[in-house]
Amino acid sequence: MASVELQNLTFHYPDLRTAALSNLSLSVRGGEFVVLAGPSGSGKSTLLRLLKREVSPGGRLSGSILLDGRPLEAWPAREAASAVGLVMQHPDNQLVVDSVEHELAFGMENFGMERSAMRRRMAEIAGFFGLEPLLSRRTDELSGGQKQTVNLASVLMLQPQLLLLDEPLAQLDPLAARDLLGMIKRLNDEWGITVIMSEHRIDDLLPLADRVVRLERGGLAFDGPPRGFAEEAWRRQEPSWVEALPAVTRWALSQPHSETIRDSGPPPLSVKEARQLLDRGHLAAESGSTRQSPSSAAARKPLLQADGVFFAYDKRSPAVMSGLEWTIRQGDRIALFGGNGSGKSTLLRLLAGLFPPQRGEVLLEGVKLKRLPEAERYTRIGYLAQNPLLHFAYDTLEEDLFQAARRAECPDPAAEVRRSAERFGLQRLLDRHPHDLSGGERQLGALAMALFGRPQLLLLDEPTKGVDAAAKTRLAAHLRTVHESGTTMVIATHDVEFSAAYANRCSLLFQGEIVADEEPETFFQGNLFYATPLHRLLNSLTSSPAEEADVR
Amino acid sequence: MNEGFGVRSLHPSVMLMYYAGGMTFGMLLFHPVILLCGWAASIIFNLHMDGGKAWKRWAVPALSALLFLLVLNPLVSHRGRTVLFYWGDIPITLESVVYGVTMACSLMNLVTLFISYRILITEHKFLYLFARVSPKAALLTMMASGLVPRLRRRMQELMIVQKTRGISVTQGSLVLRARHGTRLVGNLLSWALEDALQTADSMQARGYGTGPRSAYPAFRFRVRDGAAAAGLLIAAAVIFFLWSRGNGYLTIYPRLGSVSLSNGDISVLVVYILFLLLPLGWEWRDRKTWQALNYKT
Repeated sequence: MASVELQNLTFHYPDLRTAALSNLSLSVRGGEFVVLAGPSGSGKSTLLRLLKREVSPGGRLSGSILLDGRPLEAWPAREAASAVGLVMQHPDNQLVVDSVEHELAFGMENFGMERSAMRRRMAEIAGFFGLEPLLSRRTDELSGGQKQTVNLASVLMLQPQLLLLDEPLAQLDPLAARDLLGMIKRLNDEWGITVIMSEHRIDDLLPLADRVVRLERGGLAFDGPPRGFAEEAWRRQEPSWVEALPAVTRWALSQPHSETIRDSGPPPLSVKEARQLLDRGHLAAESGSTRQSPSSAAARKPLLQADGVFFAYDKRSPAVMSGLEWTIRQGDRIALFGGNGSGKSTLLRLLAGLFPPQRGEVLLEGVKLKRLPEAERYTRIGYLAQNPLLHFAYDTLEEDLFQAARRAECPDPAAEVRRSAERFGLQRLLDRHPHDLSGGERQLGALAMALFGRPQLLLLDEPTKGVDAAAKTRLAAHLRTVHESGTTMVIATHDVEFSAAYANRCSLLFQGEIVADEEPETFFQGNLFYATPLHRLLNSLTSSPAEEADVR
Repeated sequence: MNEGFGVRSLHPSVMLMYYAGGMTFGMLLFHPVILLCGWAASIIFNLHMDGGKAWKRWAVPALSALLFLLVLNPLVSHRGRTVLFYWGDIPITLESVVYGVTMACSLMNLVTLFISYRILITEHKFLYLFARVSPKAALLTMMASGLVPRLRRRMQELMIVQKTRGISVTQGSLVLRARHGTRLVGNLLSWALEDALQTADSMQARGYGTGPRSAYPAFRFRVRDGAAAAGLLIAAAVIFFLWSRGNGYLTIYPRLGSVSLSNGDISVLVVYILFLLLPLGWEWRDRKTWQALNYKT
């Protein structure tokens, strides 16, 4: 069990005048589960990397880091490497070799362990994580969640006492993220490993954590228990603090009688706790938002129609789309849900005309997509891939935007680029290389490129993945203005809260067909899984009259 | 296929010995009859491994190479005393025809052995053998074989999305296509480099380079491996001994000797076939146990 002690830690990156971390003092007891919160660029990653000596960034460091009471520099190389484990954000890039079994063994090989000892530990860890069925698989065949589990397991092969996690859930879908989080919690509970985990979205983490540490501009902004954090955030009422709270907590604290909650105990952090408060009569169950439904959908003109679309990637592989029928009407803002690997991305690509279906047709205003010339097709239907980096091809953002504007046949591309950069707040970033932009900035850049052609329809694939809360709010605002200027939108997403706040229609893709296609309120009310925590809380209360009559 | 069964259960070092011997003798015993018999044995071996599936795939290119050699050798080599006929003014000699046939047989032997080598020596076994010679090179091989499919998939994604921006290698003039192609590859590479930095971090974080490495793949040397190794060694010793006494090869140049097999040749042939079929003993033995198991239930 490892304790960590930071004493007056200050760190400057070379060439930068402002400190990445300034005068930070913190002590973490052995076996604690610490969540590291804070906006992008607040120094979370820097701190985690400084704790892991092998990957610590170069720069000026003052103050000291003590691990188990011993300065980190004083640890022998091998001991330091095994005592501290690090899992990073991107599941793919942490995999070194080709097969799962070998990947797990990689760390042990580096330590020159005996074969029999390696096999024994392999048996144990693979058993703990349930990885036995995957051992002989190739790492590139795994899903994102499985990859990240392998990464976690291979770090644990070295039996670290301190586990550092740098946004390990950001690239995962919610279900996989929850699984991995459960695993991390188990490690902390059952093995007593000290965990320090940073994350943009900490609402799922708050109920699990022992302690929340919030960094702001390299300094300590909060250090205390999760409930204390919730209270502090509510007291401050700053958007960046409140956004970090779970939706239920936000809802409970925003209720008219929230003072009674504070009197009766700590704020609720989970649906279960909020229910208990409701049952005790501290809260009244009324859902605040009864949004006005938009003008009847059927009246609007169909824009894009999928007519019996059938698609499979391979003759032998199962069909991804099996006779899909779907109509997208003008003015729709559709949130497209569906499980992992249900074919949401494939569907968007089919709708964008990036590849043709094997059977069936996609019609844009009644014209078959394959009849439209490619350039026209891609201008009228904008498509944003899950990884925005795929859209960039040139050395600077400006060049990329300029080429896109020219392709869209704007009369004055340079002016158009300036206007668009201003609109999306990208002016300062124009001379940057696309690789040097943050996830949210890339997203906006790709969106700007797609909008030069004034598309009638915009298809977005998981635009909120790996993006922090502030960037998400910004993106939502931009999407809203784009929609108001007459662009229809389809957003494939896992982010239920984002789409509940934003969409005017929700569709569910299952086994290659659209199985639900409704307005958000009706859609969420019937669901338990594809529902916001708030809906889950309120659904259980507002049982239908028929059921109530039965009880009596 | 089941790795713990029959020939596949043998230790990689024994299999290496088998293939080293098989390939050496396939070149040493330069006699068309012996080589033809050896070829037959290798094919039987292949049939046992995967029902001849892999061999069928290779059959067409291999047999065309065989024909090519058969025709080419007499045309370019005019050594030998016995002229069969003149093709134009090119003398075609019996010796060079027989030499071509023998060489083709030898080549077929090697190809057939190589096919079963590909089935039997899996990546895992190869690494086990290789990692002892050079752990770094073995790691590099593994990393490369993990990287290539990743890059290929990235490239596909990139091509699909960049198509929407008009950057494509399937449309436009040749110059434009080439320019777009280099742009795509350049993009892919800068992306790969970016990722490689993170991979390097992940390696360092797990203690890479902190000291000597060990290798994980493990195979146990069992009694059957010992027996197989002993059998192979004895057979090889006998073949070498007989060969050094002038048996088991055909004198072709300058004048073709007798093609018929002497007693010594026959002994070499028998031991050679034994050598090639020896690992199959385990295959047959293990199949029997399966049959016994099946009858019972």
